[in-house]
Amino acid sequence: MAAVRSEQPAVVVQGVDMDFGTGAMAVKGASFALEPGRFLTILGPSGSGKTTLLRMIAGFQAPTRGEILIGGRPADAVAPHRRSIGMVFQKLALFPHMTVNANVAFPLKMRRHDPRTIPARVARYLDLVRLGGYGNRRIHELSGGQQQRVAIARALVFEPDLLLLDEPLAALDRKLREEMQLEFRRIQKELGVTTINVTHDQREALVVSDEIIVMDHGEIQQHTSPVDMYRSPANPFVASFIGVSSFLEGLSSPRGLMVNGVDCAGVAAGAILPGMPARGAIRAEQTRIGAAAEACDTVLEGRITDTIFEGERLMYFVDLPALGTGVRIYHHDPAEHAPFEKGATVSTGWNARDLLIFPAKDR
Amino acid sequence: MISRGQRLTIWSLVWLSIITLSLPTVVVLGASFTAGNMIAFPPEGLSLRWYEKIALARDLRQAFFRSLIVAGVCTLVSIPVGTLAGLALSRFRLRFAGVIQVYLLLPFTIPLIGSGIGLMLVFGQWGVLGSLWPVGVACAVINLPFIVWSVSSSAVLLDPDLELAAQNCGAGRVQTFLYVTLPAVMPGVITGSLLMFILAMNEFLVSLLLTDARIVTLPVQIYNSIRSIITPDLAAVSVVFIVIALAAIWLLDRLVGLEIFLKSK
Ligand SMILES: Nc1ncnc2c1ncn2[C@@H]1O[C@H](COP(=O)(O)OP(=O)(O)OP(=O)(O)O)[C@@H](O)[C@H]1O
Ligand SMILES: [Mg+2]
Repeated sequence: MAAVRSEQPAVVVQGVDMDFGTGAMAVKGASFALEPGRFLTILGPSGSGKTTLLRMIAGFQAPTRGEILIGGRPADAVAPHRRSIGMVFQKLALFPHMTVNANVAFPLKMRRHDPRTIPARVARYLDLVRLGGYGNRRIHELSGGQQQRVAIARALVFEPDLLLLDEPLAALDRKLREEMQLEFRRIQKELGVTTINVTHDQREALVVSDEIIVMDHGEIQQHTSPVDMYRSPANPFVASFIGVSSFLEGLSSPRGLMVNGVDCAGVAAGAILPGMPARGAIRAEQTRIGAAAEACDTVLEGRITDTIFEGERLMYFVDLPALGTGVRIYHHDPAEHAPFEKGATVSTGWNARDLLIFPAKDR
Repeated sequence: MISRGQRLTIWSLVWLSIITLSLPTVVVLGASFTAGNMIAFPPEGLSLRWYEKIALARDLRQAFFRSLIVAGVCTLVSIPVGTLAGLALSRFRLRFAGVIQVYLLLPFTIPLIGSGIGLMLVFGQWGVLGSLWPVGVACAVINLPFIVWSVSSSAVLLDPDLELAAQNCGAGRVQTFLYVTLPAVMPGVITGSLLMFILAMNEFLVSLLLTDARIVTLPVQIYNSIRSIITPDLAAVSVVFIVIALAAIWLLDRLVGLEIFLKSK
């Protein structure tokens, strides 16, 4: 049951720069707004400025330039301990001298909850993160993943207005991580708490979020819904970061992209004029192989150079002599387990709408 | 793997160090149990008569209690000052960091007699000489770097995010300090304060300068007796000192070993 909230965005970030004076800026010109109750994931490679942006939103660091508003008020207008922000730190920052119970009870004690209600509430949140019965352990007596879940319980237990998560699931095994992702989504919907999650796991971003921001080198590359992020990446960087894409270099043509004298079918993504140097991106799962390729808009002859078995699917590395380059192809064949042999010559193809063509100057 | 020869060398060195370091203690220990009238090693016969004597000697006993008071005052003064200074030194980029570093090296560079005379002049000016507490304060001033070091070496291990996390949980500055910062540096505070206690207990030169005949502390009392005649009761007193030091080390091990329990709650 979501609380009644004001109309203004929960978080506004306006032209924020962060310069530590150690070379390149950690965050450059970041701007976005987040409506109350939404789940935003900031996705980006290591060192792209995710933690820095999150810490500025938490009010731990003042931006070099720009402004951050939380619930319509400047982030630094309220003393840090009076903000209703739950945070899971990248390095967890659990209190080492306290038990699990004491860690989770700490925010309630500091916020002067009725002492009689605290134990029940602590137990409820420990159950939620599947740590029921671990309350009397000390922090150093827990595994990394268990510690991470204590940090999550500590951030959630006082039901904050804003939840900031810095890679909270990084230390969990895949099964638990996927369970916790769904759990997060459920809790977040149930409490209606505005959430900003940081990760470099693109799958997690797609699964849990209402919206995603992709960052690189301190700059926001794209801010949109998971489906849009996947379907219409704003530039080759986003295309390469979400999913697996292959890239083709060439000149833009009326049909799509001219690569090595071959006119490939594709669609322009963004402002692009014919004859301009351009870079095409095609997803591994949208590239067809064998019989499935025959009906595609572009069909080329390829030679399989390598095969990787990934369980539910295979990845083929296919060399395309006509283009002078290769592509990666995901192949899922539920009917028969008859993979193509390494060195085999196969038809390779894609449809025009799946080859996205960007101006080459973009990263 | 270490070869036989290396192992032999290492162990010879270890034993050599143990023997040279503990020899004086063993000699004093042995001498204190003598039944004779002279300090001698090996002792002539075994008895506890010299312990009985020091236990009954009023002046020694009083000097002992005075030393306890001095050590107590010194510890009480140095805990808050040393803790805050140690934290400040490791957490903030202080403007006078260079000056402070030099101050922290003072105990190794300035002879005690120098600082002792300085303090004597200051306390004389204030007209507080003749009571015990200035001796304790003086010991605190002179030995402060030890507790500052001890605390700041604990503090640099403290994850700065811990304090931010506490604030995020709703703890104000004071609460953050009490519930998070202080417990985290507690091992350093305990180590430092026991060190301060022992150092003040044993402090001789400063006590000599700042005390008069009515308020001599134990080390000064011993020194005074040595000047007249050396009897085995001094060996017994020395053993008492050694026992106190051992007790402090034992306590330290217990407290810092068990610091997690101390810090909980
Ligand atoms: N306190 C600091 N002082 C100087 N430079 C910093 C500081 N904190 C971060 N940086 C720099 O800012 C850049 C962004 O760091 P940040 O921690 O935000 O990355 P991140 O996206 O969270 O990476 P990761 O996924 O590895 O956690 C990095 O180049 C980093 O070296
Ligand atoms: Mg980070």
